[in-house]
Amino acid sequence: MTWYDTITGRAWVFGDDIDTDQIIQGRYLTLLDYSEMAKHTLEIPRPEFADEVEEDDVIVAGKNFGGGSSREEAPQVIKESGVGCVVAESFARIFYRNAINIGLPIMRIEETSSIPDAAEVEVSLESATLTIKDSGDTISGEPLPSVMKDILQAGGAIPWFRKMRNENGFP
Amino acid sequence: MGLTLAEKLLGNHTQSGTAAAGETVIADVDFLMVNEALARIIPVLEKMEVEKVWNANRMLVANDHWSPAPDASTAEMHRRIREFVKEQNIAHFCDVNCGIAHQVMAEKGFVKPGDLIIGSDSHSTTYGAFNAFSTGFASTDSAIVAATGRNWFRVPESIRIDIIGKLSHRVMSKDLILKILTELGPDGANYQSLEFHGPVIDSMSVASRMTMCNMAVEAGAKCAPMKINPAVRKWMRSYAPRAKWSPVEPDDDAEYVDTLTFDLEEEPLEPIVSTPYSPSNGKIVSEVEGTPVDQAFIGSCTNGRFEDLKIAAEIVEGKQADRDTRFIVTPASTEVYLEAMRAGILETLICAGAVITNSTCGACIGGHLGVLGRGEVAISSTNRNFRGRMGHPDSLVYLASPATVAASALEGKITDPRRLSS
Repeated sequence: MTWYDTITGRAWVFGDDIDTDQIIQGRYLTLLDYSEMAKHTLEIPRPEFADEVEEDDVIVAGKNFGGGSSREEAPQVIKESGVGCVVAESFARIFYRNAINIGLPIMRIEETSSIPDAAEVEVSLESATLTIKDSGDTISGEPLPSVMKDILQAGGAIPWFRKMRNENGFP
Repeated sequence: MGLTLAEKLLGNHTQSGTAAAGETVIADVDFLMVNEALARIIPVLEKMEVEKVWNANRMLVANDHWSPAPDASTAEMHRRIREFVKEQNIAHFCDVNCGIAHQVMAEKGFVKPGDLIIGSDSHSTTYGAFNAFSTGFASTDSAIVAATGRNWFRVPESIRIDIIGKLSHRVMSKDLILKILTELGPDGANYQSLEFHGPVIDSMSVASRMTMCNMAVEAGAKCAPMKINPAVRKWMRSYAPRAKWSPVEPDDDAEYVDTLTFDLEEEPLEPIVSTPYSPSNGKIVSEVEGTPVDQAFIGSCTNGRFEDLKIAAEIVEGKQADRDTRFIVTPASTEVYLEAMRAGILETLICAGAVITNSTCGACIGGHLGVLGRGEVAISSTNRNFRGRMGHPDSLVYLASPATVAASALEGKITDPRRLSS
């Protein structure tokens, strides 16, 4: 998948300030296997999440998603769960950077309160929009900065790093 | 237009020598701290096909979050880390016997004024106390630094915070930062630099400054550089006598996106307690006084330093912790542990009913040595009270200064430390 492909899936709606402990609690961090850890994704706010989430579902949140720890396990377990994209009104700095680094599509959109839980949504990072399929309502978002697009396009910071190093020496 | 501390500190590490807020720059890092995140950095380095780290002398590896290993999977993490440290000849390794990396970094003199420092932990903002630009990265970004000694940075805008007046008896810098966080909100400084100024900061101890910079990340701040002060100069003379360093000052006409002033003469600061589930849910202690607590915890990279243990000992000396409250003290480092032991502080705390643990991040992240059960309530000198942070998802954590925690340990309920004699 490339960053400009459209993602279509069900919305999992969350409120403001979903911190990294809500995404993956500290007690699971010593599990070295991400697929084992992913069974506990968002366990505190939505205990059914890990069992019911499907490929390309979309996490929709309010302000300050991913606040707290620098743990990269937070976006990793979301990606491992099959989530296609995370959209939120704002993201905590480290989480935003981590998501891009591991190749988890992510987008800031103006407001998320009108998106119903479990609604079918379509997200386009290229046009920076989220469309609710039933109503056809489209909410605009913030286009990704170019360095982020480059990293997502490469498939994350690891392949991006290798590409940069091979082409012209990093950085 | 003048430059902020963040712009100057970062600019000193770019090829062009400049860094303006909003720009994305490549900057050279002076030092990298990695904790157990190294277990996740190793496979990233392998995938990147990096055979040697950029500089084995400019890295500190610390097993601090779960030390000594409480279970087999942690033991496996630690084993891989030790193996990597040997293979790469990493000069500075703290196995389970040094303490919490942020404290150890300062004690070893690795944090120098003017430096750019990265840590694989969100509380790496702590080094701002020493006039460094320091921020937390996760595994992949830390791996890029480990591989190349550099990374890309979006230069943050800065919020200036002026603090005037002084702190009164038993009111600590922790109370001040909890008050500031409450004012800013959990994302009030997201992506930005918090620049603390004023006589309170200029006259503050290194430990108290570290507490404030440590918690800047709880408002989302990327970094929290302070101007150098006499206490930092003294620290550098004692902990890094041979090191060369040059402090950086912001320009008088630096541009800030916001300026907040806290005038403690006009409105004296009272002890603050942050209620669940956010550090920015601060309340004046009188609003929550009397809340029963199952555990009173003093420790962590936020408030487990000598001055924290000392004030706790002053408060509990000759008294007994409430029989229904577990009183747990975790010194931030082995050096702090020894200093407190030599000063008789540990004895005072133990006689008052405290359990002293080795230095680890354990209780703060709900890892070990102080995990909370269902419905339990803790008052804690740590930095986060997110839901489930210290254990069971239905436990509750109140954040406070070590003075307030110690007073609460005695009473078995949240207590204003100013109420107790001596």
